[in-house]
Amino acid sequence: MKTRKNKKTEELLEKLEPKTSDNLLTLKGVGKHYGSIIALRGVDMVVDPGKVTCVLGDNGAGKSTLIKIIAGLHQHDEGDFTLHGSSIKLKSPRVALDAGIAAVYQDLAVVPLMPIWRNFFLGSELTTGVGPFKKLDVQKMKDITKQELSDMGIDLRDVEQPIGQLSGGERQCVAIARAVYFGAKVLILDEPTAALGVKQSGVVLRYILQARDRGLGVIFITHNPHHAYPVGDSFLLLKRGRSIGYYSKAEITVEELTAQMAGGAELAELAHELEQLGGHAEELAEAEAGAAAK
Amino acid sequence: MSSLTASPSHKKTTTAQDERVGKKSTLSILLGRPEIGALVGAVALFIFFAIVAPVFLSPASLATVLYGASTIGIMAVGVSLLMIGGEFDLSTGVAVISSALSASLISWYFGLNVWVGVVLALIVSLLIGFINGIILIKTKLPSFIVTLASFLMLTGLNLGLTRAIGGSVSSPSIADMEGFQSAKAIFASSVNIAGIDVKVTVFIWLAMVIIASWILLRTKIGNWIFAIGGDEKAARAVGVPVVRTKIGLFMAVGFCGWVLGMHNLFAFDAVQSGEGIGNEFLYIIAAVIGGCLLTGGYGSAIGGAIGAFIFGMANKGIVYAEWNPDWFKFFLGLMLLLATVVNIVVKKRAESSK
Amino acid sequence: MGKPTWRKLALTLAIVPALGLAACSSTGGRAPEPEGNGGGGAVATTERIKVAVITHAAPGDTFWDIIRKGAEEAAAKDNVELQYLSDPDGGRQSQLIEQAIDQGVDGIAVTLAKPDAMKGSLKKATDAGIPIVSLNAGEDRFKELGVFAHFGSNEQLAGEAAGEKLKEAGLKKPICVIQEQGHVGLEARCAGVKKVVPDTEVLYVQGTDMTQVESTATAKLQADKQADAIIGLGAPFTMTLLKAKATANSKVEVASFDMNSQLVQEITKGNVLFTVDQQPWLQGYMAVDALWQNYRGGFTIGGGQATLTGPAIVDKTVAEKITSFAEEGVR
Repeated sequence: MKTRKNKKTEELLEKLEPKTSDNLLTLKGVGKHYGSIIALRGVDMVVDPGKVTCVLGDNGAGKSTLIKIIAGLHQHDEGDFTLHGSSIKLKSPRVALDAGIAAVYQDLAVVPLMPIWRNFFLGSELTTGVGPFKKLDVQKMKDITKQELSDMGIDLRDVEQPIGQLSGGERQCVAIARAVYFGAKVLILDEPTAALGVKQSGVVLRYILQARDRGLGVIFITHNPHHAYPVGDSFLLLKRGRSIGYYSKAEITVEELTAQMAGGAELAELAHELEQLGGHAEELAEAEAGAAAK
Repeated sequence: MSSLTASPSHKKTTTAQDERVGKKSTLSILLGRPEIGALVGAVALFIFFAIVAPVFLSPASLATVLYGASTIGIMAVGVSLLMIGGEFDLSTGVAVISSALSASLISWYFGLNVWVGVVLALIVSLLIGFINGIILIKTKLPSFIVTLASFLMLTGLNLGLTRAIGGSVSSPSIADMEGFQSAKAIFASSVNIAGIDVKVTVFIWLAMVIIASWILLRTKIGNWIFAIGGDEKAARAVGVPVVRTKIGLFMAVGFCGWVLGMHNLFAFDAVQSGEGIGNEFLYIIAAVIGGCLLTGGYGSAIGGAIGAFIFGMANKGIVYAEWNPDWFKFFLGLMLLLATVVNIVVKKRAESSK
Repeated sequence: MGKPTWRKLALTLAIVPALGLAACSSTGGRAPEPEGNGGGGAVATTERIKVAVITHAAPGDTFWDIIRKGAEEAAAKDNVELQYLSDPDGGRQSQLIEQAIDQGVDGIAVTLAKPDAMKGSLKKATDAGIPIVSLNAGEDRFKELGVFAHFGSNEQLAGEAAGEKLKEAGLKKPICVIQEQGHVGLEARCAGVKKVVPDTEVLYVQGTDMTQVESTATAKLQADKQADAIIGLGAPFTMTLLKAKATANSKVEVASFDMNSQLVQEITKGNVLFTVDQQPWLQGYMAVDALWQNYRGGFTIGGGQATLTGPAIVDKTVAEKITSFAEEGVR
């Protein structure tokens, strides 16, 4: 398994490298430990403009540590993290933002009580005037917010309302639109669909594609392979802090992806166990037969 | 790629409307402002006392009420901003006295022009705020605890240093020193308006409210203050300078303490070193009545001012109504409770459901 | 916030001392220390004894400064090593007494604001053979607690004396301003005034905030046009009442309890009618001296009764005589 993974990763990296001499963002053998706990070890990944890289894994796999490193909240302890070919260590989210890396977090994206336009421009407010009389250019910010959101497909007449009144999916979209507007080159999305219903998830996934089409390199973190597969170009699987596979879309199917994530044998065992406990053997057999017939 | 439209959630059109959302009227916009609950309370209280105590309406009485409100209001401005930024300061009451004592003792001991003491007191006040902020950042303890500790330390310093330098628990008189009269004219004089003497603190208070509101609503820093109070992690993640803003807020509170301290000094000359204790809660009460959320991220400086005004009206109104003053504290507590409830109810109604 | 603010701060810190040196005040300020604080007199030749004075003083009350001065002067004269301690909380004041016993003091002087809280520790002191006197508070309970002498002024009596003086001046409707609601001594004073002048009204103010004292008193004077006098129960508070009177354009007479040098000046000028002085200096002085007398020859002063240090009315004629003493801080 290990040899196969390494070979596959190297093949993929070789495939990517000749195309662009400087990838937008690469990780080579990156690792991080907190004290004696190894959160991440030996992770390789490549991010290119106009491509979506999905990072998959169950809870505790190390996904969160990975994005914190890329977003500048933490620094990696081993390996090489390069941006446009040069090695870097991002000291803070501000530095990461200035470098063009924007992260959209599951529940830390926005300040719920603040109006949408204030959230949109938080940290990068537009001002007019000089010196101590510099003041916010409120009208301009409201107009731009409205415009950008409508470009991305949300039509909001009132950007003054507190962003907390928007649904979870809409908030994610505002955060994505914000990152796109402020010229992010790399967009990291941390489990954006985790707490959303089916329709809302669909909206967010469409936004991911919009961002991709605008030329951003998107890193999409999720534990749901059914969300990842439709939008992803390459897939990095993490388990217990290590990479267990790095595939391009052509090399893997969604079923294989799902099986890889949970561990195929474990899933089968779980299904069997649930069957036993539930005692719905007959109904299950019927349903399977019906599904097979379709 | 075709431009996809998400399901319309808040369309404010007269024709096609999302069946889940009603039209947002001007009234509901107004009701959404943080100060509205306080304003309703203030108007109600005013009418109440006007009926119960006719002397309340005389201009001289209003001037007295405003004075009583202004000495709480000056501090409520800083405390409101800090609360919106998500922190508490319990050392405010005694910090005011520390500032006054600094100016007085330094000028007296070294025989300096009183204005030198005034400037040094400003530095002391800003320093106290700075230290509060730094300790908060470094220890990551709740601001309640950090400022409780500084409250105790300042109380001790006030008493100890005053006795050590001045020889008693009251700072020595500096009324005969150079600069006193001019400083008094700025910090503790009265302005005559249509025959009524209005204390200068009222004007200083109003000016501070205007400046604070402008900072909060119309500058970058104001945006940061709301963000830090609303969700500090989200703010930090988008690059807002959390540390600098928080320390700045504590120093702003220190500045307010200096202003009030100077008024105290030049109005009463001798400063009792045990004064100030207990006022820190009144400032917080004024901010909360004015609509500032205890958890931060929501509120206004104007709200704090209305809260201080409510306090002034309640405090003096009872005297004008010639009620039994034993009941004053009960009444104040009741007011606070009612005002907070009104705020919550009004806020809930103004917000659409999620 | 950022670099510019730090630079400005550093600049200010550099300039200010320079300006300060240039900006000295030619008037007022600290007076140079007088040569040998009224000393030169002989000190007692008895062995040096240790006395602890333990009061219920709340921090920051000017009144207790005067008691302390009296105690310190007696200690200097009698060759006594003085320990001056206080805590407004009854339980903690009691603990201070126990600590003094542990230290083996030769005499204890206490204030009995909360006599029941003191019972236990005072018994321990008596059992250890340490003589005890009381001062300022506890006039009716001191004997049963094993205390041999009490020096104080009866607050109710003081109030009545004030009432008499007001009656003399033809004043019928005074406002008695209490700066700490629930303070037994202050309430007793106003009760005493009311006994003699039945139309007395009480006004509670927040003593920890002078601005509130002023605005509340102003409001009262504006509301109550019938009042003809206003009484402050502490010198600093009376000073503020004078301001309130001016703001309210009122014609009330101002009276007071206790004293400081500013108040004495106001009495001499005629702005304050009188003050009732309980002569706290005497309380401190007599307490320490009585313990020394007891050590010197087993004397117990007072004959089992409280020795009263007041009330002493200080009106314009008396004020003129004691102005310099007030400035010294002994009255």
